[in-house]
Amino acid sequence: MAEILVVDDSKVMREMLVACLRRVPGAAFTQAASGLEAIERLSLKHFDLVLLDLNMPDIGGIEVVEFVRAQDKLRALPVVIVTTRGDDGSRARALQAGATRFVTKPFTPEAILAEVTGLLGASGAPR
Amino acid sequence: MTSAGDLGDFRTSYLGEVEELLAAANAQLLAIDASLRKGESNVRAVRELFRALHTIKGLSAMVGVEPVVAITHRMESALRATDRANGRLPLPAIDVLLRGVRMVEQHVSAYADDGAPPVTPPGLLDALDALEPGAAPTAVTNEVALDLEPAVAKALAAFELDELARGVREGRRAVRVDFAPSSERAAAGLTITTVREQVGGLGEIVKVVPLSVPATATAPGGIAFALLLLTAASDEALARAAGVGVEAVRPLAAARAPAPEAPAVVDLLEPDPHEQDVHRRGAMRVDVGRLDEAMESLAALIVSRARLGRELAALTARGVDVRDLALALQDDSRRIRDLRSSILRIRMVPVAEALERLRLVVRGLRRASGKLVRLDLDAGQVECDKAVADRVFPAVVHLVRNAVDHAIEAPAERRQRGKPEEASVRVACVARSNTQLELTVSDDGRGVDRERVARRASRPVPEGDAALLHLLCLAGLSTRAEASTTSGRGMGMDIVRRIVVEELGGELLLRTERGAGTTFTLRVPLTLAVVEAFAFECAEQRFLVPLATVDEIVEVDPGRVAYGPSPRSAGARGLVGVMERRGSAIPVVDLDAALGFGARRSPALRALVVRRDGDVIAFAVDRMLGQHEVVVRPLTDPLLKVTGVAGAADLGDGRPTLVLDLVALRVRLGLGPAGSRGVR
Repeated sequence: MAEILVVDDSKVMREMLVACLRRVPGAAFTQAASGLEAIERLSLKHFDLVLLDLNMPDIGGIEVVEFVRAQDKLRALPVVIVTTRGDDGSRARALQAGATRFVTKPFTPEAILAEVTGLLGASGAPR
Repeated sequence: MTSAGDLGDFRTSYLGEVEELLAAANAQLLAIDASLRKGESNVRAVRELFRALHTIKGLSAMVGVEPVVAITHRMESALRATDRANGRLPLPAIDVLLRGVRMVEQHVSAYADDGAPPVTPPGLLDALDALEPGAAPTAVTNEVALDLEPAVAKALAAFELDELARGVREGRRAVRVDFAPSSERAAAGLTITTVREQVGGLGEIVKVVPLSVPATATAPGGIAFALLLLTAASDEALARAAGVGVEAVRPLAAARAPAPEAPAVVDLLEPDPHEQDVHRRGAMRVDVGRLDEAMESLAALIVSRARLGRELAALTARGVDVRDLALALQDDSRRIRDLRSSILRIRMVPVAEALERLRLVVRGLRRASGKLVRLDLDAGQVECDKAVADRVFPAVVHLVRNAVDHAIEAPAERRQRGKPEEASVRVACVARSNTQLELTVSDDGRGVDRERVARRASRPVPEGDAALLHLLCLAGLSTRAEASTTSGRGMGMDIVRRIVVEELGGELLLRTERGAGTTFTLRVPLTLAVVEAFAFECAEQRFLVPLATVDEIVEVDPGRVAYGPSPRSAGARGLVGVMERRGSAIPVVDLDAALGFGARRSPALRALVVRRDGDVIAFAVDRMLGQHEVVVRPLTDPLLKVTGVAGAADLGDGRPTLVLDLVALRVRLGLGPAGSRGVR
């Protein structure tokens, strides 16, 4: 089992991401529509990987990464930032905050699939 | 780009979400505009606008609508700079951004219709590139002390601190509500999302800050959320909304002015239980195509129900006892009616939402014309079929443009005439019945100049508003010597008329008074798909006519109808006569002859009275066959399209029955309203 949290305020984007990652073996998806919801879900349940949008109401992706990295039990959680091209400034800040990887929109299903399976394999045996 | 095809299914949801985001972008632009006019900056609206555009950009990149990516990217860059400059945009920038949003809308609708993408004017991209933030407003000295612990204060942006301070100065309390999520609370429906929504209903949430809670001797560590808000609600009400104890509510600063904390206020702020219910159940977006499918199935059901009715009648004629069957069928009919109204309800959209966009239209006109205009919208809770809303909206926009451009006087002229400098354009909407919607567009401008209209049309000066409206609706008529930038030469009343009368089968009325103002009234059906119709027989053929277009059905005394001579063959009877109705003479058309079946053999005994633009005309028919619920299918084949025929419907026998549009027919026969060609 690989528990994946998909965080984006755009429902279409969340569904696109899930559609792309359907082929990840044993993947189970949870969706969160805001940064706040993401933090809540991460605090209540174990996840193996997070896909995170940067632009969200209330608190954005960078704040989420900063918060996650400040939590002992979430320090090693792989966080993939899904960003749009031209976001170089935000990319640098997200990296500084502790993001693991970036995927840039538009992405192909293959590209994101490769990124995610790679990370899940690298982070040790998924539970 | 989306080669794997996995993303191909997202077209519909893309269009739906982008439509919402564009509406949000428009709303934020208006909010920014309103703030700028007050000399304030609005960082929050700038950020929300940025976010909407950014999401549109990302989604458009995914589905490959590149021109949208290009436009939104430039708009974003401008806004990012603005955000850094404290949310201050120069006023002209709003117009450039609005043009950007318009262009995105055009690209998206071309994508939706599989049409050729419009060409983005290079000037627009350059203008967007050239956008620069305005001067930052003088910083507000923050004399309000907020009681914030460092972890919370650090998470707040300068504008958020400003918002809190401003709220306190305006007499609201700044409050912090802490909520700690847990699995138990989540199971009970208490999550940060629901709590945010509930608490947000009691005040204005400025920020929600996530916090780490260190473990103590008595409790394990974890996380908590601090909701910072401005409110007039009591601590108890806030605690209840958040599902927490009252000790979790702490003041950040007391309100400056005496805070309204009377219990009555709190009661008013309690969310309406019904509304809450709606929130919980949520709303969903549905592809209109799917609704159309459901409508199709319903249509098939209505047709088969009609067929069953015929079979039943045949059985009865043969003397079979069909009472039970008849009861079952009756029951069936009722259920079909219920199902029909459920489906129609799903298709309903609030008119108020559609009209909101007029604010942007008027805003643009105000700037272009230099006139002072206030737009009042009053649609209440009225809803109508999305298809109707989509069609009628351009007509309303047209009337509003005309009002501002042609009817409203310049401020100086208004002052001279003793009118307030700020003119008023009012768009109101009421449901006249379960089947009809009435929209009015009124202004307090100069009124329509009859003489001028008559001169332009080279016709005699029309008497009465109906005749004047008819002149105005002649194709290509204009009362303006020069074209204005916003509504050209005032053309387009013919288009308004076509939309309202011909496409929607509605009615267009005019009331105007020189110097005082003009009101256009548009009456259109609430829905298009299923209509109540009268079936009747004419020349041994069956026809249908929508109930809504018929004023009444009258008996005809053949001895008292006088037909005029035929204009074509001497000695023959013409198809138009005169009959008496409640003491006045009204024209009566012999429908058999009008439809080309030749003169009738037996005199007509019934007539359908149709009223349009205040004019009454009767159509003589052979006999009435009763009232039916029918699904009108438009005849789209241009070869089949005949003026006077609105479409066809199946009455259950598998044969198409023509649905007549008597108003259009009367125009074809040269029997248009006052002042038109031909017979009166």
